[in-house]
Amino acid sequence: MPDFILFLHRQAGPPPALAPEQIMAMIKDYSGWADRMRKEGRFKAGDKLTNDAGRVMRAKSGRISVTDGPYAESKELVGGYYIISAKDYDEACRIAESNPHFKYGGNIEVRQVDAV
Amino acid sequence: MMVDAADELVETLFRREAGKLSAWLVRLLGAARLELVEDAIQDAFGVALARWPSDGVPDRPAAWLAVAARNKALDRLKREARSMPLDESAAWRLGFAGPESLGRLDDTLALMFVACHPALERDEQTMLTLKTVCGFGVKEIARAYLSTPDAVAQRLVRAKRKIRDLNLAFEIPEGAEMTRRLPALLDTIYLLFTGGYTAGEGEPLIAPELCAEALRLALLLAEHPRAGTGAAQALAALICFQHARAGARVSGEGELILLADQDRTRWDGALIARGLDHLQKAMTADALTAMHVEAGIASLHATAASFEATDWRAVAHYYAMLEELKPSAVVQLNGAIATAFAEGPAAGLARLDRLDGAGKLDRYALYHAARGDLLSRLGRCSEARDAFGRALDCPVNNAEREFLARRLQACR
Repeated sequence: MPDFILFLHRQAGPPPALAPEQIMAMIKDYSGWADRMRKEGRFKAGDKLTNDAGRVMRAKSGRISVTDGPYAESKELVGGYYIISAKDYDEACRIAESNPHFKYGGNIEVRQVDAV
Repeated sequence: MMVDAADELVETLFRREAGKLSAWLVRLLGAARLELVEDAIQDAFGVALARWPSDGVPDRPAAWLAVAARNKALDRLKREARSMPLDESAAWRLGFAGPESLGRLDDTLALMFVACHPALERDEQTMLTLKTVCGFGVKEIARAYLSTPDAVAQRLVRAKRKIRDLNLAFEIPEGAEMTRRLPALLDTIYLLFTGGYTAGEGEPLIAPELCAEALRLALLLAEHPRAGTGAAQALAALICFQHARAGARVSGEGELILLADQDRTRWDGALIARGLDHLQKAMTADALTAMHVEAGIASLHATAASFEATDWRAVAHYYAMLEELKPSAVVQLNGAIATAFAEGPAAGLARLDRLDGAGKLDRYALYHAARGDLLSRLGRCSEARDAFGRALDCPVNNAEREFLARRLQACR
């Protein structure tokens, strides 16, 4: 079965300020989803990325420049990722649909890993 | 029946998994939260104990326990947020963590550096290592230290409070910091091992486990690229050699068997080979430590075809080196015994009698037993009987008492 990476996109900028109970409820939603994936034997990896926007490196006239990310034109950035196994894109998307990320206003990009 | 089986499994799993779980959760939550981590692990095993007998044991019990401990830690983090701001990044790290990242050896090593921090006292270091790294219970630690569970629990609380106040990074130190902090780990492992190796009466269950843990941790250190210094290699070698003889040291009836009488075919050849490998690596170090010499002596015994074929001159030579590096009455005693085998009982006895002036060994059974042995080999029977008699007046365990009584009887 191939692997799929689920890129969790979120709005650029600092995450909204929430009460501790809300944050903990959110964390439990995400960890609960990953645990269900583990139980189904689909879970391969997953991490939350730090809240900053990271750095972007670009080659410009022979030199590599480093700027704060994300790309100026982008309004979204990657806040985390999962790697899960699924039969095909249809199944991967069906699975991703249950991820709490949508409930919290994010988008998910699904990409198949080209297994060698 | 069912209930008992589940209980037993939970207990076994605790010994095997609690240390791994601690290392994993402390990495995610920070060394200052050692107490929270231990409580969360305790909670998780409590849930297992309550549920498994009726629900059945999950397919992958260790992974199940990791998820349960993580969730309990999340609950405790939430509770912690009542009295201080929520540590959001720790909570997210925890939320995204799963059993896949459990059991990293570097985590165990980093946890050892926490438990053996130089700010702790010697026995706090060993107790905390036994508790958090090895997953021993307070009762077992009390048994190993001939102390009470309450006293051990109190020391552990104090040690954890010190750790919390130090606000340590969870990492394997580098450079000068590694040099500063490694000796305490080596000492702790050495103490774990000698504690298990020379266990007296009353702790037969814990002794082999102490030795096995000391071996595991010594190998872990030795095989790490930064922690595996010459001294760490020497310690690993020493423990390999000594532990290789464990199976031949005790008879089926639980009697102690002396080196001279051990069935050498029962020694663990693979472990001796591993010890030689570590000893060779130890020799590339620029500093010669007492641990090197002790490992050297152990290697001579471990590789000798028989007691008689032992290279006693080399053993005696190493003991002379050890006396310089780590002067102690016991080392001198062992040196004198080696001299007796290298140069004959008269030479050994002369050295023992020179030691007598120190008086430090007067209450040490092995000293009198060694004198008795050499005197009887010289045919000085009545003096030998006196010496064995004095040995019997010293503190000895049952196996030693029977042995000495047999020797006393034999002096006719």
